[in-house]
Amino acid sequence: MSAIVKRVEIKAQKRLKALLRDYFVNLDEAAKDPTRRVAWCTSVGPCEILTAMGFEVHFPENHGAQLGARKVSHLHIPRAVGVGYCAESCSYMTSDIGASLSGYSPLQEAYGIEGPAKPDLLAYSTNQCREVQDWWNFFGRRFDAPVDGICPPTHLGEVTSEHIAFVRGLLEAFIQRTEASFGLKLDMDRLKEVVSLSSRASTLWRQVLDTATAAPAPLTFWDGLIQMAPVIVMRGSQTAVDYYDMLLAEMQQRVSDGVGAIPDEQWRLYWEGMPVWPKLRELSDKFFDLRAVIAASTYCNSWAFEEYNGGDPLAWMAKTSIELFINRDENTKQAFLEEMFDKFAVDGAVFHNARTCPNNTNSRFGMAQRLREKRGMPILVFDGDLSDVRFFSTAQSMTNIEAFIEQLQEGRR
Amino acid sequence: MSVPLHVGIDAGSSATKCVILDGEGALIGHHVAPSGFDFGESAEAALTRSLQEAEGKIEDVVSCVSTGYGRESVPQAGRHVTEITCHARGAREWYPQVRSIIDIGGQDTKVIHLHADGRMADYRMNAKCAAGTGTFLESIALKLGVTLSDLDELAMKSSGDTLVNSFCTVFAGTEVLERVKAGEAKENICLGLFRSIATRVSEMMSSRNGAVGVTGGVVAHCRAMIRSLNEVLETEVLLPPMPQHAGAYGAALLAREQK
Ligand code: SF4
Repeated sequence: MSAIVKRVEIKAQKRLKALLRDYFVNLDEAAKDPTRRVAWCTSVGPCEILTAMGFEVHFPENHGAQLGARKVSHLHIPRAVGVGYCAESCSYMTSDIGASLSGYSPLQEAYGIEGPAKPDLLAYSTNQCREVQDWWNFFGRRFDAPVDGICPPTHLGEVTSEHIAFVRGLLEAFIQRTEASFGLKLDMDRLKEVVSLSSRASTLWRQVLDTATAAPAPLTFWDGLIQMAPVIVMRGSQTAVDYYDMLLAEMQQRVSDGVGAIPDEQWRLYWEGMPVWPKLRELSDKFFDLRAVIAASTYCNSWAFEEYNGGDPLAWMAKTSIELFINRDENTKQAFLEEMFDKFAVDGAVFHNARTCPNNTNSRFGMAQRLREKRGMPILVFDGDLSDVRFFSTAQSMTNIEAFIEQLQEGRR
Repeated sequence: MSVPLHVGIDAGSSATKCVILDGEGALIGHHVAPSGFDFGESAEAALTRSLQEAEGKIEDVVSCVSTGYGRESVPQAGRHVTEITCHARGAREWYPQVRSIIDIGGQDTKVIHLHADGRMADYRMNAKCAAGTGTFLESIALKLGVTLSDLDELAMKSSGDTLVNSFCTVFAGTEVLERVKAGEAKENICLGLFRSIATRVSEMMSSRNGAVGVTGGVVAHCRAMIRSLNEVLETEVLLPPMPQHAGAYGAALLAREQK
């Protein structure tokens, strides 16, 4: 079966392509300009501080995802394994290290840029995993650049004021060290401005995702994976805010016109875990053919933070950075998922057991089984990986997905 | 007088199975052909031989459902359904009481759990690996220079309860050689291989409630597999009359049920 019904294209997409080009070209120029500075940052690291201090920010995880989407990660991972990185550790990390060792970057074909902008500082937060620390340390050694970051408390149930105060302290110390190393002074008003923009973009992003509570859903997880780029890499900029304003208007229009991302939407599903970047097309085609919309996902929602209403920007940063889904305990995660299942009225959920990212995989401690039993809802767990296709079997996954829809059909009869 | 025929074709990774039902649902023809390189051709061969057995003609076929790895490459089929649904349907027809179905095939192993009313509750397929599948046994038999039925016969002579610990085909091969070198009886080692599969299967079972049916080529040909499953799962598993045809039978039943 092939997708006979045509997909509805997102009009804002053209603008997104141009924005991404500008973003990468600007980063490349900054790296080549001795008067400007580049920092690398984890996806939910202290990037607002870096932006407020005048750094241009590169996000290596985005580069890892690009390697995956280009279907080349598995060609570069062996180089990283050769120098001692385990083949079963984060494939964003191993592919990024391997690609650097082999002198390849997807930015070459996309923008004619040699590779990721050379960093003056590599900043991280281990709120998502410890792998980022090791990943950054590799490049710190390779580029002879300082690596610095924060290690907040992880796997939290309730986030308390003590936790927030502690992380706020970590951020303050990080600022002081960065000020001292680079002879800079952080302007708190500028930080407030950046945080406001960051929060505004994030709120708009959440509103975009929430339009998929409508049936038919105007956008799917697959669209979300593309559309989320600005909320990650352009966080803290007016550009991201303007883009999401435009995208939100388009999605709201779709809802009022009754236009669904999948014509004749039959099934509404939830995606838990990482995407399978090298297989996006095949997977989205399969779900499209089966008339199944993935209306919501944990992954796309990971950058939908609580709103900033003025006040202490560091407290906001501290709170949002530890309130993240990935940084929470199993019970909090389960409660969040249940809330999402209800909010998006899904018929079932798909859990991706990503071989090289245990941190963003939630099928390893019985959660899928508990949810099946508690909710009486079909849940599919399938094996794969975010980037390394060697851990993914197309035939097996497709059978799994088709059987899942057959199971849903059986339940509806 | 011609009768309406309903066909199920299971295009598996190593064998293509065909089942023909008459209008009343009676199984009147079946055949297994090697899958080879071309699923279309093997489906054709299996269908032709099954029709001969059923004494039917191709014009009498009113519905055909394909299943299995090559399900999309069976031109005769009007619809394709996954082997998960088909195995469940076939096994349930033979044993309405089953709540779990274990299918051990050449390339994959699946465990399907059913609700009491027969609806699918949950299913699991083996990870991307030969562990726990027929390929695991075949490749070790090859390494030992014996056939699968030799392996089965030797295993049935064992009175022990050893286990080959490695699920991985390559590591299991090494483990077998180490044990041979250490002087362990080959009967015990062979049984250990079947028990390794049974242990892997037990890990895939999210529920141990109710009767367990087993299907697939491995259980059809190896008594030691049944014995190992009984011992490891601590239950008497139910072996249907045509375990290798469960998927094709389920597909034929679905073909007959389709409106
Ligand atoms: S969360 Fe997973 S994918 Fe992301 S950096 Fe950490 S290990 Fe890699």
